[in-house]
Amino acid sequence: MTPHRGLIGLVLFLSAGSILSPAQNSGKTDSQLAKVAQDAASQAESGHCSQALPILAKASGHLTNGELKKRVELDGVRCATLLQSWSQLTDFVRALQRDFPRDPEALYTAVHVYSDLSTHAAEELARAAPTSIPALELDAEANEVQGRWDAAEKDYRTILKTNPRYPGIHFRLARLLLSRPNPGSDFQQQARNELQEELDIDPSNAGAEYVSGELASQMQDLPAAVEHFAKAKTLDPNFGDAYLGLGMALLSEKKYEDAIAPLEMAVRLEPGNPAGHYNLATAYARTGRKEAAEREFALQQQTTQHDDGQGGTSPQ
Amino acid sequence: MTRFVPGCPGVSRRAFLRTLAGAAGFAALEKIWAATPQSSLYPFEEVPAEISRIAWVHTAGKSPAKYLPETTGAGCAFLDYDNDGWMDIYLVNSGKCDFYDPNPPLRNALYRNNRDGTFTDVTEKASVGAGGYGQGVAVGDYDGDGFPDIYVTQYGRSILYHNNGDGTFTDVTEKAGVAAPGWSSSAVWFDYDNDGRLDLFVCQFVEFSKSKNLPCVTYNNRPGYCVPRFYEPTASWLFHNNGDGTFADVSRSSGIAAHLGKAWGVVAADLNNDGRMDLFVANDTSPNFLFMNRGNGKFEEVGALAGVAFSQTGRARSGMGVDAADFNQDGWLDLFVANIDHEMSSLYINNHDETFDDDAASTGIAVATRLMSGWGVKFFDYDNDGNLDLILADGNPDDQIETIEKDVTYREPMLLFHGDGKLLRNVSAESGPLFSKHISARGLAIGDFDNDGAVDVLVSINDAAPLLLRNTAARGNHWLGVRLVGKQSNRDAIGARLTWRSGDLQRSRTKVGGGSYLSSHDPRLVLGIGERSRIDWLEVKWPQPGGGTERFAAPPIDRYIAIVEGEGVRTM
Repeated sequence: MTPHRGLIGLVLFLSAGSILSPAQNSGKTDSQLAKVAQDAASQAESGHCSQALPILAKASGHLTNGELKKRVELDGVRCATLLQSWSQLTDFVRALQRDFPRDPEALYTAVHVYSDLSTHAAEELARAAPTSIPALELDAEANEVQGRWDAAEKDYRTILKTNPRYPGIHFRLARLLLSRPNPGSDFQQQARNELQEELDIDPSNAGAEYVSGELASQMQDLPAAVEHFAKAKTLDPNFGDAYLGLGMALLSEKKYEDAIAPLEMAVRLEPGNPAGHYNLATAYARTGRKEAAEREFALQQQTTQHDDGQGGTSPQ
Repeated sequence: MTRFVPGCPGVSRRAFLRTLAGAAGFAALEKIWAATPQSSLYPFEEVPAEISRIAWVHTAGKSPAKYLPETTGAGCAFLDYDNDGWMDIYLVNSGKCDFYDPNPPLRNALYRNNRDGTFTDVTEKASVGAGGYGQGVAVGDYDGDGFPDIYVTQYGRSILYHNNGDGTFTDVTEKAGVAAPGWSSSAVWFDYDNDGRLDLFVCQFVEFSKSKNLPCVTYNNRPGYCVPRFYEPTASWLFHNNGDGTFADVSRSSGIAAHLGKAWGVVAADLNNDGRMDLFVANDTSPNFLFMNRGNGKFEEVGALAGVAFSQTGRARSGMGVDAADFNQDGWLDLFVANIDHEMSSLYINNHDETFDDDAASTGIAVATRLMSGWGVKFFDYDNDGNLDLILADGNPDDQIETIEKDVTYREPMLLFHGDGKLLRNVSAESGPLFSKHISARGLAIGDFDNDGAVDVLVSINDAAPLLLRNTAARGNHWLGVRLVGKQSNRDAIGARLTWRSGDLQRSRTKVGGGSYLSSHDPRLVLGIGERSRIDWLEVKWPQPGGGTERFAAPPIDRYIAIVEGEGVRTM
C-alpha cells in the first residue's frame, strides 16, 4: 500500500465515522451515506481492505439501496476473509443471508465462507490440541470423507486407547465398517460387535440401536431387528426411520397387522419419505385394506416423483 | 470318461458322438475334443470362435451422440429351425435406422448346428438377416406346423419370419400385423386365451427417435447415455393369434395398453395357478408390471399390490432381465428380476395369494448383485442334480460409469449361483476364468447345443462377438431331456408342468414363456436326477385347453425324448 492511499483511507474512515455515528447521523443524507459506502467498496475492490473494512461494516446496516448493500456485504466478506477477521466475517455473511436469502451469489459466497470458517477452526484445533480426542475425531472424519478408511480406523482406535469408553467411537467404527468398499467377509458381525460395545457405554444411543436393527435386518435376524428398532424408537420417539425399520422388519416376518402401527407413525413423522408410504401400503394390502393401500401407494408415487434425483448421466 | 448312452450301454460319449458324426465330421470332433479338457475343473468352458466357427460379431454403431439403443442390444436364441434335433443359433445385430446407417450393412445371423460342435452361417439362404436396428428375438411355432418361427424385435419396426420348413423363412410381418412400431425390446410367445395358439406380447421401451434423443452428460461433463428416467414411458403390445396367419392388436381391449412402462424383460407364466398365463414385465426406472390374466381376454395390473413393482424402499428400480421358476419347489412359480448396480436383483418368492416377498437378501442374491447390472438371466439346473441354479449376465449400460462410480465397472463378469432348493450360493469365484472375465453382456439363452444333456449357455455381448459356453458340470449326473409337443394345447406346450420322481427325489419344472433378456431358449427341458440311476415316473400337466395330466412310468434316462400330448413318448 502507498502512503498516499493510506492517507485517503484514513480520511474516509474518519469521515465515515462522523457520517455513520448514530449520534451524528441524523443530519446526513442517504446520498452521502451511499457515497461513502461506494468509496469504501471501491477501495476494498482495489485491495485496500484494512481501510475499507471498518467502513463497510458500519455502512452495511444503514444502506437502503439493495444493489449497493449487496456489493458492500460481498466486499465485506472478501475483506474480512483476507484479514482473517472471523467475527466480522460471520457478521457479513449473516447479513447477506438475511438481506438476500435466495440470491445465488449470496448463497455461493455463504458456502465458501462457512467452508473457510470450518477450515480455520480445524486448523485452530490442530494447533491448539493436536493429540486431543476431538482433533483425532476430526481427522478421522476427514479421512472417512476422503475414503481413507484405514487411516480413519487408526484414528478411532487411537481414541479408544486413550479412553476406551469414549462415547460415539464404537458407533463410528461400526459406520466405517459398513461404509468402506470391499470390507472383510465378517464385516457385518464386526459392526454388530462395535455397536454392542457402544450400547454398553451409552445405552441411550438411539442411533446405535437403529443401525443394529438395520444390520440385523440385513443378516436376516428379524427378531433381533425388531428388538433394536423398537428400542431405538423408545429412546427417541421422533425417530421416524426407527419406526420405518420396525415396520419393515415386521412385514418381513409376515406380521402384517403388527407392522401397521409403526408404519403409520413413520409416515406421520416423515411424510415425504416414499419408503414409509410404500411399506404401509403393503401392510394395508396384506391385511385386506385395499382402499387404504391404494391411498398410500398414491402418496408413495407422489413422494417418489418429488424427490427423484438426477443421478447418473443427465440431460444437459 | 465313460458315459452312459441310451441304447449303447457302456459306450463312451466320445464313441457315441463319433458314430453320429460319421467320417466327415470326425476330424472336426477330434479338434473339439483336443481343445476341450476331458475333466474340466470348472462348470463351463468357452467355445472359441475358431472351434464353433461363429464368426459373427455384434456391432452397436456407437456414436458421439450416444443414442440410447446403442447400449441396450442385443439378444440371442437357441432354436432348432430345421427340426433335426440339434440346437441352432440366432444372433441379433444393429442395423439401419433413423440414427444409424452402417456401410456395409449389418445383419443378424442364423447358424445351423453341424452336429459336431461347429456351426454354419445359413442366414442368406434362410433369409432372416433382418437389417433394422435389432434388439431381441422370440422363437415360437405360432402356426403349429412343427417348425419354429422367429420374431425379431427392433427399434423401428419388428419382423415376423415364418419358417417355411425347408430351411428358408418368409417375412410375414405385414400380413400378420405384428410390426409393433416403436422401440421393441423383449417379446414372448404364449397362449393367453387358452385357444391352443401362441399369442405374442412385445415389450416397448420408451418413446424414442433420433429427434427425441437427449444430449446427456456425466458429472464430469462427458457425453453419456441418458438414464431412461428422462424418456417418456410407452405401452407394450399384445397380439392375439387369429389362427389364420394374422394377429389382432388387443393391447387396448386386454388392458395392457392402459399401463405405460419402460419394458425390457418379460416372462409369461401362470403365477396364481388358475390355468391362465400371466405376464411379468421388468421396467427400467418405472414400476414393474404384473399383469394377472383374469380371463375373457382381460389383464389386471397388480404389481404394486403384489409387492413386485418397487424396491423395499418404495422406489422403482431399473429392471432388465426377468425369469420365473418354482425355485423353492412349493408348486408356485417365483420371479427373478435383474436390476442395475446398487439396486440389487430381486428374487420374489410366491406367497400363493398373488403376493410375493423379495428374498434376495436371505437367498444370497442381494449381496452378490449389489454392484452389478444384470440383463440376461435364467434359472436352470446346470449340474443336473435336480435343483434349480441361476446364471446372470452382467454389464453396466453406461460406458462412462467408471468416472461416476468408484466401485462399478462398465464391463462386468457373469454370475453363477448353485441352488440347493432353498438358497442360491454364489459359485462364480470358484467357476473359473469365465466368471471373472469382464464383458458387456446383454442377452442370454440356454440350450444343449451338443445334446449331451448338459445345458449350455449362449451370451450376446454388446459391440462384440457372442460367447458360447459348453457345460461340463453335468457330467456324471443322470438326466432326461424332454421335448413337449402340444396337440390341443399350444404346439410349444408353453405353460406345461413336468413332475418327476427318482427314488427320494421329486421335482417339478414349468415351461415358461420367454424369460431372460431379448433372448429365446432351447424348447426342451432337461430333468436332472443326480447320481440316481432311474426315473420312477414322469408326469406332464398340459396347459389349457388340453389341460390333461399324463403319467409315464420308468421313462428312459440320459437321452432326449418327445412327449406328444395324448400320444405318448416318441424317441428322438
